Amino acid sequence: MEPVIVDNIRIEPDRAEVIRLLGMKEGREEQLTDKVRMELEESISEAKKLIDPKGIYLITAGKDLPGSSIFDHLAKVAFCICTIGPVLENKVTELSESGKLLKAVILDSVGSVCAEATASFIDRIIADKAAEIKLKTSCRASPGYGDWNIKEQRSIFDLLDGSRVGVTLSPSSMMIPRKSVSFAIDISEKPARMRSENSCRNCDMDTCAYRLEERS
Amino acid sequence: MKKHLEECAQSVLDGDQDKAEELAELTLKDSLPVLEVIEHGFVSGIREVGRLWEDGVLFLPELVMGAEAMKKAMEILQPALEASSEKQEKAGHVIIGTIEGDIHDIGKTLVATMLSANGFEITDLGADVPVADFVDEAEKKNADCIAISALLTTTMPGQKKVIDELENRSIRKKVRVLVGGAPCDEDWAEQIGADGYAGDAVAAVALVKRLLKKG
Repeated sequence: MEPVIVDNIRIEPDRAEVIRLLGMKEGREEQLTDKVRMELEESISEAKKLIDPKGIYLITAGKDLPGSSIFDHLAKVAFCICTIGPVLENKVTELSESGKLLKAVILDSVGSVCAEATASFIDRIIADKAAEIKLKTSCRASPGYGDWNIKEQRSIFDLLDGSRVGVTLSPSSMMIPRKSVSFAIDISEKPARMRSENSCRNCDMDTCAYRLEERS
Repeated sequence: MKKHLEECAQSVLDGDQDKAEELAELTLKDSLPVLEVIEHGFVSGIREVGRLWEDGVLFLPELVMGAEAMKKAMEILQPALEASSEKQEKAGHVIIGTIEGDIHDIGKTLVATMLSANGFEITDLGADVPVADFVDEAEKKNADCIAISALLTTTMPGQKKVIDELENRSIRKKVRVLVGGAPCDEDWAEQIGADGYAGDAVAAVALVKRLLKKG
């Protein structure tokens, strides 16, 4: 299979998720001050004009990932690099440098939510493709999380040309633009960690400050 | 006077920059004691902001708004204080930056803002800062502390290199070093010989105060 480019992705930033990333506990939204509420709405609206979500993915055998043996046992794996582009984070830097830290902090969080939403969008495309051939997908795994060493970020970029969607890798294995996500998904009859809308459910970091609370 | 001090503290607690600015200007217009207004008014406010953040009552934007209101008031009061005979105890000079190879900036800027709001003099070197620049700047400014942020496991070793460079130049004992960033923790700080680790901006203020023994 050839790498597939996904663009024209429409993202609607999840307001509740932005608020959560900013450290507000669920159910306390009514306590937002008018100023924060206004800044939040403005940032969400502005972000939509500043993002250009796109991604590239490839479905191949796990052993095809160069310089890594972590997926060798898996017959079919989707590897993906996606991004919201550089414009939003450049705006965050500009706001921060001009002393508008409140706006910068909120817009940065909106950007993080948009980057995750872009990954989720492509994740769903891959899940749909898997379903067509009666297979299931695992949750997303990313270099730097869990057992996957961040140095293997290079392996994904050796497999996929991230520059085709505007993403490059720094010598320290950092994706540029920062608001980018790379991930792998196991496609099989019985993935070890099933896909979930709540990505935290599959993470071992129980005490993480950003852990999603289970909604009853 | 008591009411004025309470209003100053409240303006920071409310994150109301306009009110903080107005009260700072009123302080000068009415020739009120600047140092007392700073220490028992605005500083009380920012301390309360920090406490409420630690207790989980405030969330990040409110913490930032408090720091920005404090900064606004200090921009007006600081020149007047320096021109007067009143002397504010120097909190200390902190060199801060994100280590080379890492361009994450906003968390570090938040720490710098909170330190500044708490009276520390700050030299913010930005992101992707070479090891030598931290040490050069600390020497040049005779700084008390270096705060180094790293958001990647691949860039964390740079924090140790700063400490090694301080040792090489025989100034390690003169400068306290704190580290922060998502992959860092207390163990990492200890492992590389840093003086401490802070998990957020409020913790960083408390840590620097403790390291420099500023109460």
